[in-house]
Amino acid sequence: MRAERSQRRILLLDCDAFFVQVARLENPDEAGRARLLLVGGSASGRGVVTSASYEARTYGVHSAMPMAEALRLCPDALVVPVPRRACSERSRAIREVLGSLAPVVQAASIDEFYLDLSGTERLLRDESLGDTARRIRQRVLDETEISVSIGAGTGRLVAKLAAGRAKPAGVHVVPGGKEADFLSSFALSQIPGVGPALLEALHDRGLNSVQDLVGVEEAWLRRWFGEARGRWLWERSRGIDPSPVVAEEERKSISSERTFHRDLSDPELLERHLLQLVISVGESLRGKGLSARTITVKIRDSDFRTRQSSQTIDPAFESDRLLFERAREMVRTLRERRPRPTRLIGVGVSNFQSTGGARQLSMLDEHPAEESDRDRTLSRLGDELRARFGREALLPGRIIPDPSTDRGIGSGPGTKDEHGES
Amino acid sequence: MNFQITRQNLVQGLASVSASIPSKTTLPVLSNILFEAAPDGVRMSATDLDVGVRVQVPANVSEGGSLTAPGKKLQEIAKELPDQPVQITTRGDQIELVCGRSRFKLNGLPADDFPALPSVSFDGGWVAEGANLLSLIQHTSFAVSTEESRPVLNGVLWELRDGEMRMVATNGHRLARMRIPAGPSVETTAQLIVPPAALDQVRRLFKGDETIRVGREANHLGFRSESIEVYTRLIEGTYPNYEQVIPKDNDKHAIMERKSLESAIRRVAAVASDQTHRIRMEFSENRVVFNVLTPDLGEAHDEIEIGYEYDPIAIGFNANYLLEVLRYVGSDEVKMSFKAPERAATVEPVGAEGETVDDYLCLVMPLRLVD
Repeated sequence: MRAERSQRRILLLDCDAFFVQVARLENPDEAGRARLLLVGGSASGRGVVTSASYEARTYGVHSAMPMAEALRLCPDALVVPVPRRACSERSRAIREVLGSLAPVVQAASIDEFYLDLSGTERLLRDESLGDTARRIRQRVLDETEISVSIGAGTGRLVAKLAAGRAKPAGVHVVPGGKEADFLSSFALSQIPGVGPALLEALHDRGLNSVQDLVGVEEAWLRRWFGEARGRWLWERSRGIDPSPVVAEEERKSISSERTFHRDLSDPELLERHLLQLVISVGESLRGKGLSARTITVKIRDSDFRTRQSSQTIDPAFESDRLLFERAREMVRTLRERRPRPTRLIGVGVSNFQSTGGARQLSMLDEHPAEESDRDRTLSRLGDELRARFGREALLPGRIIPDPSTDRGIGSGPGTKDEHGES
Repeated sequence: MNFQITRQNLVQGLASVSASIPSKTTLPVLSNILFEAAPDGVRMSATDLDVGVRVQVPANVSEGGSLTAPGKKLQEIAKELPDQPVQITTRGDQIELVCGRSRFKLNGLPADDFPALPSVSFDGGWVAEGANLLSLIQHTSFAVSTEESRPVLNGVLWELRDGEMRMVATNGHRLARMRIPAGPSVETTAQLIVPPAALDQVRRLFKGDETIRVGREANHLGFRSESIEVYTRLIEGTYPNYEQVIPKDNDKHAIMERKSLESAIRRVAAVASDQTHRIRMEFSENRVVFNVLTPDLGEAHDEIEIGYEYDPIAIGFNANYLLEVLRYVGSDEVKMSFKAPERAATVEPVGAEGETVDDYLCLVMPLRLVD
């Protein structure tokens, strides 16, 4: 077959207020009728808003806001917990529908999916990308009752930003060649990956808008911001994003990473964030009835250098304690090797085994470096309690929010999380 | 430095030391072999900083001196040289090889850059018969742990006491222990944890009919014969009390023909999970039945006749651990002993009437069935 490299056709499908929609479908009598609906943790339990209905958003409520604050802004709102299981099921259903409509589908999160339709022009009889997107939107709505918005363009970045424009319940297509124009309609801070620190550095150079950035030669950007970041800025400001949409096969890894809006140097604080990521990864692992043999940690330094390290251990493990202790050691080593403030921290597990069947007995006394039955039981118990009573039902002491500072550790206004399974 | 050496001696010397050249290193000189020429011959050394090897090879030395040169390149070259004397000289930091009409110049590094091998005094050390030492190593070092969490288990425990030399290795799931009378020359007592990489070198370089001198100095151990020296760092820490885990009350014994046992395990293991390798062995009067059931894959059933006169018992094992152990138990028949399904089982060699067998014992922990 002739591999003709024509323009890529990338879609990002983003569910409209996904948790709100699912909560309404799950509980049609109450949540289904509440115009002002907040999904998330309880106000008394220091919970945050996971998702707010569009009507509630007009009161200034947004996700990740403390629930108590949200209720001050929008006192008549109904608060319901996140219907986790139902959300996973709907997400899977959407994924299935998309699998029948596009050759390459990648779930970016529970409610976001990238589709690569490149090379389907003939198959789709030259249907316009907009018509294709609208057709997909309708199919998903018909088959899963979930309303989505779709952004389309020649790369992931443009598709992602376009989806924001399309919301709610719409389609926005950026035609090939118009990426740079499209980008210039956004503020610098809206470009995914441009955080407060970078924003400040850009301001220091007199770069306050995307147009400003486009006006600077690549060589200068590289000189000012370093090779990798300079190139990255040059490309992003023009809407260029060559990263591929990668189809998921059988899950080979589970990972979670967190970007801090302010770089962190305090090891204790970093470890507390790490522990939270560990719990989230551990929970997914155990939820799938798997254990893993390989741990990978990743840190990105303040200067954007990303480093990672992996360790394979035997026998396979599944407990948070073992995962945390190993990951912590690895992070310490990485940070000792190159002591810089940390911009991102991540942990992942791979090399899966199914836990069912048999467990190898050991002749030696339980060693702290190995996982015990007690570790496994504790982790599973934590999963059950959190599933029943919410995220904060059972957390290790060091990551419980500290009332004296009124600041919890965790994903929230100061961070951005990405949970990945691939 | 200037010497003439036979191609065969050069190839052999290079092959002896180059196995301890690290495959990846941040210290470039470690990729090199150190040549030291003296009137009585040439010494070649290589090290990865944990284990170091030095061999003495015969050569006609016309000018003494020393230099390091890239080990892998030298080996590649030496392998292809015609079978003629090789003249080796140095010019500054370059080494020059001439053999017939072939000439090579390689960039080396000064000998001073090469890390000194540990200086270990052999006075006050002990002596081991090559055959004994090699047998101890061969029967135990396979069982070391490769997991990094407990460094002491990454080594082989070498004990000298009660007139015996013992080696023990375990990863916590299976253990191998061998004991050999130490001979009158050994009066020392010692408990050393030796990296298996060093023992591999010992096994590779020394011969069974050699007498091997062993010396210890602080945290290093040395092995030497006429022309070969191996040095290693010892692993620090306390080895777990292995005596305690070797069961003394296993009261059910099965006598089995080793080859048929091995074949049966191998057959049914083909259907075992490639993660747990779980097989189930049911012992009853004079037979053992093997069963494997792996969801999504299938099942296997087999049986062999054995000598067994105790209450029936069923135990789950990781087939790989059993096969590994059986590979090293040399006798035609083996004795497997156990007490309960979740207790340690032991495997020992059995000699025919009047035949002595090695004092060798392997221990295998069963698999517990979960969920």
